[in-house]
Amino acid sequence: MTTHMSAQDRGPELVPLNATFATDFVQILVLVTTANTMREVAAMVAQHVEGKRVRALPYDKIVTYHGKRLPAHMTVAAAGIQPLDHIAVDYDIPGRPS
Amino acid sequence: MALLKREEWQDFVRDVDWSYSYVDPEAIYPEWHSGTGKVPREAWQAWEEGYKVSYPEYVATQREKEAAAYAVKAALQRSANWESLNEGWKSATKMHFGGVALSEYAAVLAELKMARFGLASSWRNMAVFGQLDELRHAAITTFFGHEFIGRDPQYDWTQKAYQTNDWVAISLRNLFDAMMSSANAVDIALQLPLVFETGFTNLQFVALAADALASGDVNFANMISSIQTDEARHSQQGGPTLEILVAHDPVRAQWVVDKAFWASARALAALTGPAMDYYTPLEHRKQSYREFMEEWIIDQFVQTLEQYGLKKPWYWDEFLRGLDVWHHALHLGLWVWRPTIWWRPIAAVSKDERAWLVEKYPNWEKVFGEKWDVIIDNVNSGNVAATLPETLPWLCSTCQLPACNATQSRDGIWRVRDVQLSYDGRIYHFCTKACRQIFWKDRANVNHETLIDRFLTGQVQPMDFGGVLDYMGLTPEVMGDDPDYEAWTKDYVARPVEGIVPRAGS
Repeated sequence: MTTHMSAQDRGPELVPLNATFATDFVQILVLVTTANTMREVAAMVAQHVEGKRVRALPYDKIVTYHGKRLPAHMTVAAAGIQPLDHIAVDYDIPGRPS
Repeated sequence: MALLKREEWQDFVRDVDWSYSYVDPEAIYPEWHSGTGKVPREAWQAWEEGYKVSYPEYVATQREKEAAAYAVKAALQRSANWESLNEGWKSATKMHFGGVALSEYAAVLAELKMARFGLASSWRNMAVFGQLDELRHAAITTFFGHEFIGRDPQYDWTQKAYQTNDWVAISLRNLFDAMMSSANAVDIALQLPLVFETGFTNLQFVALAADALASGDVNFANMISSIQTDEARHSQQGGPTLEILVAHDPVRAQWVVDKAFWASARALAALTGPAMDYYTPLEHRKQSYREFMEEWIIDQFVQTLEQYGLKKPWYWDEFLRGLDVWHHALHLGLWVWRPTIWWRPIAAVSKDERAWLVEKYPNWEKVFGEKWDVIIDNVNSGNVAATLPETLPWLCSTCQLPACNATQSRDGIWRVRDVQLSYDGRIYHFCTKACRQIFWKDRANVNHETLIDRFLTGQVQPMDFGGVLDYMGLTPEVMGDDPDYEAWTKDYVARPVEGIVPRAGS
């Protein structure tokens, strides 16, 4: 008998993403899991770039997916982000449209 | 008895086409190798080479070229010429040797395909000389690079690079397999002699020869100039082929030419752009990459298009905008991912060098300045480790180069945008819209897997950056590093710094 488990029941699964951070010059590969929140995802993308090629700024970071800002507490699974999808991580700079 | 002059006998003896009575012509010139398409077979009989040569003439000329190139090499071998060369320039040559030596060998196979499956005997005859040319180029490039292995192990990649799974090598194999190995004879003639050799080898062999001489590398200049004289001859297989194809199938002619020009432009932006605008010492630079592209490639390409009644490619504006971005971003990418390459890429962003870049490319500071400034501040803070990569750049599913082409937003900020395509149950990402369009139109073709694809399907083990380096065949004594950090960071020492990562343990 085959049992189909929901995404929530299966435990974290690896989700490779195509990501950009702020004004960095290149898209990069970032491996996250279905259980990571957007706050964690933003940090995982930023760690490759922030303060290394793009100057670190004292603002929160936001994840944009399909043109929409995702809440910081939302998980990859809940957001429906699939392997090989693109996400953009930016600083949430007051007064600047993202 | 006086010998006949070549022009009195050549047309007769090279006409070896006859009507087949025992076999179907399709069995001798199968469509998948010859590629006549909508062109009636008899139309190819009008194929006329622009440069005629007999076999004895060819051999005599080639012998002279070889003797001249090797005489210079022998003389310089006894001098201290190599030791006096700038490290940046040496990197330009290592990049060239590894990228070109066995690509020339792939070109042997392409010429042989035209020599066997070309649809006119005049064309096949010319391709025989072409394959001999390419054989010489593979040999001379490999031999000249090989000489330096004892002094620097990175030169071992002259022969090795093309056979590894290094991402640069995969990108080149992807380009040349499509252009030369898997294409039919008609498409090869358009892609290789017409577009790549008539246009783009000028960049690598003429521009780089000038920079080599200025940099004091007489040996290298001599070698590539010797090669270019062959290119100038056998590249003339393109014109007659295009002329006949345009008359019968202009849509195919336009597509093949457009696609080959784009693919060549992407590859040369990586191969020649950094060498001209960064690795060549500032005082020895003759022209910027953009200036050379405009003078030697674009004008000539547009003239060719007009001459044969073709239009400018659909991507023309995107291509022109890319002249200010592509090779600068690729240089930055090659530098950041320097452990993945077989040369030592110097960053070359001192104040004087940046002033030159801004003079040639007015938007350079706006697009690239901040990135280099943060890198410089990390180096000057003693944190070179922060400038090294821990993941892979995303590689375009068409050109297999990093997706790193920023465009300007309405708010004036330059950003890299995602160009993607959902096809056959998965998502593909591209560096440009034109790369996506080419992928879509050619989607039935088999493309090489990018390094990202290989990584994600478990072909790279362990799945970390060390595993990637191992998969690419890079060993510690070969993997690239900047040869002289101080040269380009010392102008910025002691300036106020903020927004960089703290050093580990500090």
